[in-house]
Amino acid sequence: MRNTVLGMASLIVAAGVAATPAQADVGIGLVGGITGGTAALAPEMMKSYQFAVKQVNDQGGIKNGEKLIGVVADDGCNAQTGVDAVTKVVNVSQVVGMAGPWCSGVVLAVANSVTIPAGVVLITPAGTSPQITALKDNDLVFRTVPSDEYQGQVLARTLLARGTTKVALSFINNDYGKGLADAFQKEFVAKGGTVAARAAHEENRASYRTDLAQLAKGGADTLVLIDYGDSSGLTVLRESIENDFFKTYVGGEGMKTTATIKTIGSKNLANFYVSSPVSEKSQSLEVFASGFKSAGGDPNATFVSTSYDAVFLLALAIEQTGGDKTKISAALRNLVDAAGESIMPGEWAKAKALIAAGKPISYKGASGTLAFDANGDVPGAYALFKVNGDDFQFVTDMK
Amino acid sequence: MNFVTLLNYPIYLLIFISIYGCLTIALNVQWGYAGLFNAGVAGFFAVGAYTSAILTSPAAVGRIGGFSLPVPVGMLGAMLACVVAAWPVGKVCLRFRSDYLAIVSIGVAEAIRLVVRSEEWLTNGSRGIIDIPRPFGDLPYAQSQVAFLGLSCLILLVVYFLVERQLRSPWGRMMRAIRDNETAAQAMGKDVPRRRLEAFILGSALMGLAGALYVHLTRVITPDAIDPMIVTFLVWIMVILGGSGNNRGVLVGALIIWVIWSASELVTDQLPADIALKAKYARMFLVGLLLQVILRLRPEGLLPERVGTAGGSGDLGRTSPEAIAPSEGSDDV
Repeated sequence: MRNTVLGMASLIVAAGVAATPAQADVGIGLVGGITGGTAALAPEMMKSYQFAVKQVNDQGGIKNGEKLIGVVADDGCNAQTGVDAVTKVVNVSQVVGMAGPWCSGVVLAVANSVTIPAGVVLITPAGTSPQITALKDNDLVFRTVPSDEYQGQVLARTLLARGTTKVALSFINNDYGKGLADAFQKEFVAKGGTVAARAAHEENRASYRTDLAQLAKGGADTLVLIDYGDSSGLTVLRESIENDFFKTYVGGEGMKTTATIKTIGSKNLANFYVSSPVSEKSQSLEVFASGFKSAGGDPNATFVSTSYDAVFLLALAIEQTGGDKTKISAALRNLVDAAGESIMPGEWAKAKALIAAGKPISYKGASGTLAFDANGDVPGAYALFKVNGDDFQFVTDMK
Repeated sequence: MNFVTLLNYPIYLLIFISIYGCLTIALNVQWGYAGLFNAGVAGFFAVGAYTSAILTSPAAVGRIGGFSLPVPVGMLGAMLACVVAAWPVGKVCLRFRSDYLAIVSIGVAEAIRLVVRSEEWLTNGSRGIIDIPRPFGDLPYAQSQVAFLGLSCLILLVVYFLVERQLRSPWGRMMRAIRDNETAAQAMGKDVPRRRLEAFILGSALMGLAGALYVHLTRVITPDAIDPMIVTFLVWIMVILGGSGNNRGVLVGALIIWVIWSASELVTDQLPADIALKAKYARMFLVGLLLQVILRLRPEGLLPERVGTAGGSGDLGRTSPEAIAPSEGSDDV
């Protein structure tokens, strides 16, 4: 038994020594839920991480040609696996900053027990929980994806601006549905709207007619539906249209699926609108999309642009600080300088030259303008869509 | 490379091993000594974690709390809450044999998971509870980790010695008698359901203690942290591998499984990138394979149960495979 323990200890040390990047190179963590609940998103998001790392290294690397080393780690979308993975990334691979994790619960656990105490910057490209805003993080936790809180607020303001003042609110009973519905209701009521009826519903039930009948009794003719368009949201929408419970339907981004159009038919969906976060239509996004596509990635996959931006921003901050991890968080806020010269995704060599010359830069992110607020959050951009033929058509920007 | 920073990793490993050690001893009390198949470890772990979180965290909008009690009170509360949760479960199903308890305990753990997810006034739903105090949390990272390791090891040692003492006492011998031959024990006048309930509650309380330790380590609890895939099955594998019925054995099991679970990734990361990515999926498979091999080649575990007094172990020192699946013959189901 003693031999086994000794053997294991030496194995850990040996692996640890081998896993640490060579002195000159700079390591960053590329953390994400490769297994677990987000496994379906993982291939493209990981590709996007690696794509950013490759661009940096192809165009001169960090400082005097040191390589940026991406240390891939699996958080399993589970707090314990995530803490385990990030402890290794921070202490064994000794990274100066990290992109990820993705799941909000893991971000919270990892930030509290590893990265904040160890003073390492974390940028999540997918954790949308409002709890992340509230973290006491010594300015070490950032995200390139907007909090759920924002979407509810902009949706409320948009509906009021379009003259809808009375709605019924139906949402799926999980953190996404409830978070968005609460944020919506708070803003809608505060700005003078009325929520005539409100009900949470469980996922995957066969029928929601009784819930809908209850909601319709409130007297509103608009239903705000926060759900997923390929599961229960589809059932709710179909049954409501069949029975003519409401006249107008407004969904969150989860409802923006082609499954709704295929099943219900576009002619029945003339009064169906969805709000969705959009990467602000920009040259940056196009530059990223074509580059990522030629590197074998799918630019339309979920969270790929935010993943790319997380790594690219981290690299820029490292370049600016020379890899001093205590200064990275301050540097992250200097990367979107109104007076600075624009940097597109992929323009690493240009950014490197500007930083070396001591000039300010303004990074135009693939996912939008990434000006972090005091909590390390970004506001994000949203647009309202409606059904046209087999697809969704842009109606208006939402502010 | 900074070797001092590198040391943080084994320290972290040991902290987790001590938490899981506490869980394995708890399960050993139930399964190793009393033969109770509890497949709901994650449920009691969750009750402990959330109780301590609610008792010690500051006030938050939308859920009860704001008690801001000291951490030791939270830990005691966690154990008490588990006693309260375990009592009705045990009362209802301990009259049955192991398979029934297994089914009910899975159900209870699942019910607890759903309560945690949906009762927002209590647990804040899937957003979880944050700002939980951590003992020595104000120290710098490395010192704070070492201090926490000291605390968790101390708790584990206390648990180990108290449980060992309990199991060497007449109570422990009676539990084994009930496990190995219930009918005989009953004929000797032992109150079997009551004794089983005692073991079940003791084990559950210790699981709650482990949950409290975990929550004060990470300072945050969300429903994904109580995934039965990790908290229940990993603990079972640790107990079976180490040797059910032997507290030192199950601690060795916790050590080996957690080191394999965690450190194997460092080894696979040395492989080429795309293979290393695939290897992440293989971890669970590796642990499962190890379990198969152990069950096939050494069903009594690495350190088997020691029966009898120190002097008279001899042939009895190694129990038959029945210790792993106790007393199927005397089933009353």
